[in-house]
Amino acid sequence: MGLLRNIATRRLWRRLALLLIAGGLLGAAQPVSEYQLKAVFLFNFAQFVEWPPAALPRESAPFVIGVLGKDPFGAALDEVVRGETANGHPLEVVRYHNVGEVRDCQILFIAASELPQLEGILAALRGRSILTVTDADSPALHGVMIALVRQEKRIRLRIDLQATKASNLTISSKLLRPAEIVGSGS
Amino acid sequence: MSAQARPIRHTLMTVILLACGAVMLITTAAFIAYEYVTFRQLMVRNVKILGEAIAANSTAALAFDNPDDAREVLAAFKAQPHVVAARLYQRDGQLIASYPDRDPRASKVQPLRADGYRFERGLLTGVQPVVQGSRRMGTLYLESDLGEIYEHFQLFMTIGAVILLVCCIAAYLISRRLQELISRPILALAKTAQRVSEHRDYSVRATRPHGYEFGILTDAFNHMLTRIEGDQTKLRSQLSRLDLLHRITRATGERHDLQSVFRVVLHHLGDDLPLDFACMCVYDASAAALSIAVIDSRSAALAVSLGLAESGQVPIDQNGLARCVSGELVHEPDTREIQFAFPQRFAQAGVRALVVAPLLVESQVFGVLVAARREPDSFSSTDCEFLRQLSEHVALAAHQAQLYGELQRAYDDLRQSQQAILQQERLRALGEMASGIAHDINNAISPAALYTESLLEREPGLSERARSCLTTIQIAIEDVAETVSRMREFYRPRETEMVLSRVACNRVLEQVINLTRARWSDLPQQRGVVIQLRTELTEELPQIMGAEVELRDALTNLIFNAVDAMPEGGTLTLRTRLLTSGSRGADDVTRYVQLEVADTGIGMDEETRRRCLEPFYTTKGERGTGLGLAMVYGMVQRHSAELDIDSAVGRGTTVRLSFAAADEVAVPLAAGTALQPIVRRLRILLVDDDPMLIKSLRDILEQDGHVVTVAEGGQQGIEAFAAALAHGPPFSIVITDLGMPYVDGRKVAASIKAASARTPVIMLTGWGKRLLAENDIPAHVDRVLSKPPRLGELRAALAKLVPPADPADALVESA
Repeated sequence: MGLLRNIATRRLWRRLALLLIAGGLLGAAQPVSEYQLKAVFLFNFAQFVEWPPAALPRESAPFVIGVLGKDPFGAALDEVVRGETANGHPLEVVRYHNVGEVRDCQILFIAASELPQLEGILAALRGRSILTVTDADSPALHGVMIALVRQEKRIRLRIDLQATKASNLTISSKLLRPAEIVGSGS
Repeated sequence: MSAQARPIRHTLMTVILLACGAVMLITTAAFIAYEYVTFRQLMVRNVKILGEAIAANSTAALAFDNPDDAREVLAAFKAQPHVVAARLYQRDGQLIASYPDRDPRASKVQPLRADGYRFERGLLTGVQPVVQGSRRMGTLYLESDLGEIYEHFQLFMTIGAVILLVCCIAAYLISRRLQELISRPILALAKTAQRVSEHRDYSVRATRPHGYEFGILTDAFNHMLTRIEGDQTKLRSQLSRLDLLHRITRATGERHDLQSVFRVVLHHLGDDLPLDFACMCVYDASAAALSIAVIDSRSAALAVSLGLAESGQVPIDQNGLARCVSGELVHEPDTREIQFAFPQRFAQAGVRALVVAPLLVESQVFGVLVAARREPDSFSSTDCEFLRQLSEHVALAAHQAQLYGELQRAYDDLRQSQQAILQQERLRALGEMASGIAHDINNAISPAALYTESLLEREPGLSERARSCLTTIQIAIEDVAETVSRMREFYRPRETEMVLSRVACNRVLEQVINLTRARWSDLPQQRGVVIQLRTELTEELPQIMGAEVELRDALTNLIFNAVDAMPEGGTLTLRTRLLTSGSRGADDVTRYVQLEVADTGIGMDEETRRRCLEPFYTTKGERGTGLGLAMVYGMVQRHSAELDIDSAVGRGTTVRLSFAAADEVAVPLAAGTALQPIVRRLRILLVDDDPMLIKSLRDILEQDGHVVTVAEGGQQGIEAFAAALAHGPPFSIVITDLGMPYVDGRKVAASIKAASARTPVIMLTGWGKRLLAENDIPAHVDRVLSKPPRLGELRAALAKLVPPADPADALVESA
């Protein structure tokens, strides 16, 4: 397992290096795009959030990052998760057009396009341990667990602890410290 | 001051301080080294923990690209002032935050090193990966200065120095106190040793200090002192004993008789070795007794109570002395416990300790040294050893004294025998000379003897006076012959058996008076000196057994001496008397005949009286031979008689000869003197070189009726015999002289026997007596007759040697 991770890490480093070179080469002309960053964020959530065992994929089933609605990432998300793992599972990006498609999914990015149906979506997802993430900047996003909020040139996190608790998800305190907390955890 | 001369307490203190300091330094160094290593590890661990904590806290900041949060996280390093710098890098190496804020170095792009913590450039740097789950989020770089270590060490060193100082002071104080524990006993011991060597006082002892080794050292030192003291005392006493021994040896060496050796030994012993009683005894093995030779004068009183006196005897049997006389030194520490008589004698006198040392020479005990003291057990083994050695020395000295005595005696003996040999030699020379003279005299007086005898026998018409004179002449001739024959006695000490006959002393005395008349009467009268002769002869005197001639000679000598002792005249008294001894009435009464010659002359002093019997001792100067009295004494001894000399200077000398009287047996006096009758006439060949003798002998033989043919020499005699044998008539008998020129008597006899073995040969010789005495009759000689020949002897020989039926007789008869 460690060996595997080691190999994976090495592969990742190699990719990062390539990315850095590419970034270095492209950096001057083309800075990292917003969604590229958000894709990394999505990927990173897998590290800081604990799922109840039942919610985790079985055996060799992939750890799924779902994108509901119109995909703003393009290929960025796929590139980020390619070859990566989370909790020992290979990562996979699955794109959903409606919430009904969402079955085995651990992280679900709800695209801005789906905001109008947000109530329904959240209701459909209630009771299921799926981390819901959105980047729509709206105060009406009550019920989405993590919101990626743009502040000045940076993207900040806003975490609804009430929602995560309701879904039996445990957010790492490390993640909580740089984030903005909404909804009392109590 | 050199290291060797440094006092021991300095050395000890230095040693202790150095040891303490070294131990402290090494300990401190070890601690510092340990602290350094462990502190570095601790520091690394601390920094690492900090780094890990910060890294763990900065994962989210990295993951979600939040530099503010990262800065806040890094600001936590403020709590640790030694962390001087920290930087947080993204996974792609992009710096996201630095500490302290706006660190100028942070802007510089520095390649990140491999993960880990290391000391470099005076800093501890750490590259800490930031990992979330299994995912690396970035890298935390941090730097910590080593001030902490330095501070730590500064404190540590300060404490160390203080401890070192305190320890050194404590060590100094303790060593100052402790060094005394070591140096004081050593110094005390040294001081004692110094005192001992300075004052030579070995009775000093070092006090025993505490501490095992010093105790042992001091004990050893004291023991050594005790031994030295003992040895010195022993040495001193042995030296004094040696000195005593030396003095005794010297003193004894100067003495040559046992008694004074013993006395000087006891004297020295009493002076130097206190003894209550000391004596020296001589061991008499045959009597099994000790005879006390000398008792020390100081123990005389004790000797009385012991019942011991000089020249007293102590028997040796079961009294404990037997061991000593077998050569052992006997030491009785307490005489009371010894049941033998000799120690008991001492015990009763209150003398309790006794040592009896044997005097051994060549492992023979010849005496003992007895030493005793009143105090029991007062003889140490040294005393005993000394007495044993002393006794050896004394034995040696005594032995030497004995040897000296023996040597002296041997020397005296040697001197006497030398003297005797010398005199013997003189006598022998004299004897040889006398022997030659005797031969001539014998020859010379032979005619006188023959004619005197013949006259007395054949001349009946002789006057009484002539007959008396002839008889005296005959006696004188006999005496001359005897005297001459005895001359050899001077050098022939071992006389052949003397022929004893009965002698009437009165008659002999009268004969001597007549023989010596010229000396005592005629010669003095010529000088106008008158010597009166008085004779006091006891009648009825018994005869004695003796040699008449010798007795006559002795008396003659005595008369001559008496006359010589009276140069101014006086009275010569001759006495005979009869004495008896033994118990009267018993059978063993011995009668003595005493002859006395007394004069009223000058007498003899004591020296002369003592020596007068020695041969060659004379007071007469050139006139005397010194042999007169010696001859008399010899005669007396041969007769087992006694000689007695009374003399006083100026009052005269009396000499008495005492002979045992012979048994009273009547002996016919004339039996031996009867002349042989002439039986037959014989043809006789007479051989001699002396014409006088031939003539007289021929006359006498012819008077007897024999036919005598004369040959004046040996060769002539042999020829005459041969002629007679060849042409007849042969000789019946041959009479030959022994000593003749060219052909002597022996050759004559041999030739005659060769020609006619049956013809008897008579040898006549001036040496005749000697030949007879020596039983040395030459071969071919039938009879030896001495000169002067006696008619009786001659006739007897002829009668015996020529048998009656001899054919030669017939020839004579017919002739």
